[in-house]
Amino acid sequence: MASNEKIAKQKSKTSKPERLTKKELRSIFLRYMFLPESAMSYEKMHGAAWAVSYMPLGNKYYKNDDDAYRRLLKRHSPFYNTEPQTGQLVNGIVASLEEQIGMGNTNISEEMPVDVKASLMGPLAGIGDSLVQGILIPTLLSIAMGLSKDGNPLGPLFYIFSYAIITTIIEIVCFKGGYRLGVSAVDKIVGESAKRLTNMFTVLGTIVIGGLAASTIALKTTVKIPFGSQTKPLETIIDGFFPGLLPLIAVLFTFWLISSKRMSANKVILILTVVAAVGVLIKFL
Amino acid sequence: MNGALFWQAVLVGILGYLGAVDSIVMGGVAYGFYILGRPLVAGFMCGLIFDDVKAGVLCGLAVQAVFIATMHTGGTSSTEITYASYGGIGLAMATTKDPAIAVTLSIFIGQTFGLIFYNLRMAGFSYFNHRADHDIDRFDKHALIMDQVVWPQIITFLVRAVPIWAAIYFGRGAVEALLKVIPTEITSIITVLGGLLPALGIAMLMNMLIKNKLQLIYFLFGFAMVVFAKMSTIGLVFIAILVAYLVYQISAKSNINKNSDSLAKETVQNADEYQDADLF
Repeated sequence: MASNEKIAKQKSKTSKPERLTKKELRSIFLRYMFLPESAMSYEKMHGAAWAVSYMPLGNKYYKNDDDAYRRLLKRHSPFYNTEPQTGQLVNGIVASLEEQIGMGNTNISEEMPVDVKASLMGPLAGIGDSLVQGILIPTLLSIAMGLSKDGNPLGPLFYIFSYAIITTIIEIVCFKGGYRLGVSAVDKIVGESAKRLTNMFTVLGTIVIGGLAASTIALKTTVKIPFGSQTKPLETIIDGFFPGLLPLIAVLFTFWLISSKRMSANKVILILTVVAAVGVLIKFL
Repeated sequence: MNGALFWQAVLVGILGYLGAVDSIVMGGVAYGFYILGRPLVAGFMCGLIFDDVKAGVLCGLAVQAVFIATMHTGGTSSTEITYASYGGIGLAMATTKDPAIAVTLSIFIGQTFGLIFYNLRMAGFSYFNHRADHDIDRFDKHALIMDQVVWPQIITFLVRAVPIWAAIYFGRGAVEALLKVIPTEITSIITVLGGLLPALGIAMLMNMLIKNKLQLIYFLFGFAMVVFAKMSTIGLVFIAILVAYLVYQISAKSNINKNSDSLAKETVQNADEYQDADLF
């Protein structure tokens, strides 16, 4: 290890610009994997975690140029937020851009990586969050929950290993893909054909979370309505013509509060608590 | 003093930090939040710590069912799942080991203390972000790492591990006393709220995906396939892939013949609106 570091140091002293070594790329990849949410706040979200991630690159190219090094850290500290695992794609693209800037390629301006980050974080968050949190995790968890119905630890073990393997593959593929494609990846992601692809993933995600809503929201009425001398639970009657009617109303109401009324999640939690309390107290729920 | 409980509570507290969204130790969110932070895994871990894996998994299973559609998008969270998992399940394992108690405690802790601690920390960490900016201006790399990584993580550890440890170590007696006097209305309200909470996570995701209200038809399609056709989640994923692919194919045609299909064009254009400032 020590001798490797020595060789790397000697190499970086030579004036000839060279590409990032595998070790340096791995360092950038790992830093971005571990650190994005290290000092997360509403103001900056992932923010300056990028600056810390690109210190290996700065140490290589800007060893004798403090001003350029400072500019590198500065341009990688404003607000940034996306889904961090699929977000390795952006990290890969930015690594290839910063590498070119570091090697002295004047065709690429220092604003370029900043623009790339700003234009990709939104679309990628939408797709990444719906794929990871909307499809992958609920699917793996529902398999795992089936496996441990009687308290069998097989379910959690299955989830731990399957998710660990899948997320590792996602992170590596995204980073390598982004690094390899570089700037051309941007056209692929925000260009016309990518809009079709985004649209396709949106449809996929929307259908699956529709199913997720049906299987996870639990809302039943306890009202019994009289039928002659007997009483019949209202829920059985609803289930007869529209199973899951109440959960559907609940999710559409919540969606309306968030999308049309622009309410924050915290406000919606308060409203749902009031709905639950009133529902229970008037003996409807 | 109860020595065993003290150390059990310490271990659960540490896991509560490792599984948090803002902890860096377990590969960021990859192996931490999305693995250790899930209630099913938390139940398994608490089961190991309290030497009753079966009870732990059963508690985890019950809590996971409530929080399966918990979303963490754009820094806002529909529930604080890590405080809920380790606080709720840990406390239940220290007392009755009853899954229903674990669910009640998890929802209560996640929606009150959990969200309060989380939001305070999210607001307060602007302080460290400003210090990091200042460090960059001064070009102090060592201070940047301290202010961006080391100090924030020490504080995160304290605000996550200590309350969970305290809740389990001191909460045991309180929970047992509380369970005796708590009116049944309160427990039924918390149960109903637990059933409603997935609606919030799903609505948050819908808000990211659905920019044109007509796209609700896809959501209703997925919903109907499960309630009427009794389809499983995995089955639905395959059907959804098919429909998504067909949409992809059709949008190719509408690009060639741009005026022919105004609806498809509109939805394609709406992809622009993903950059929704309110989300972040």
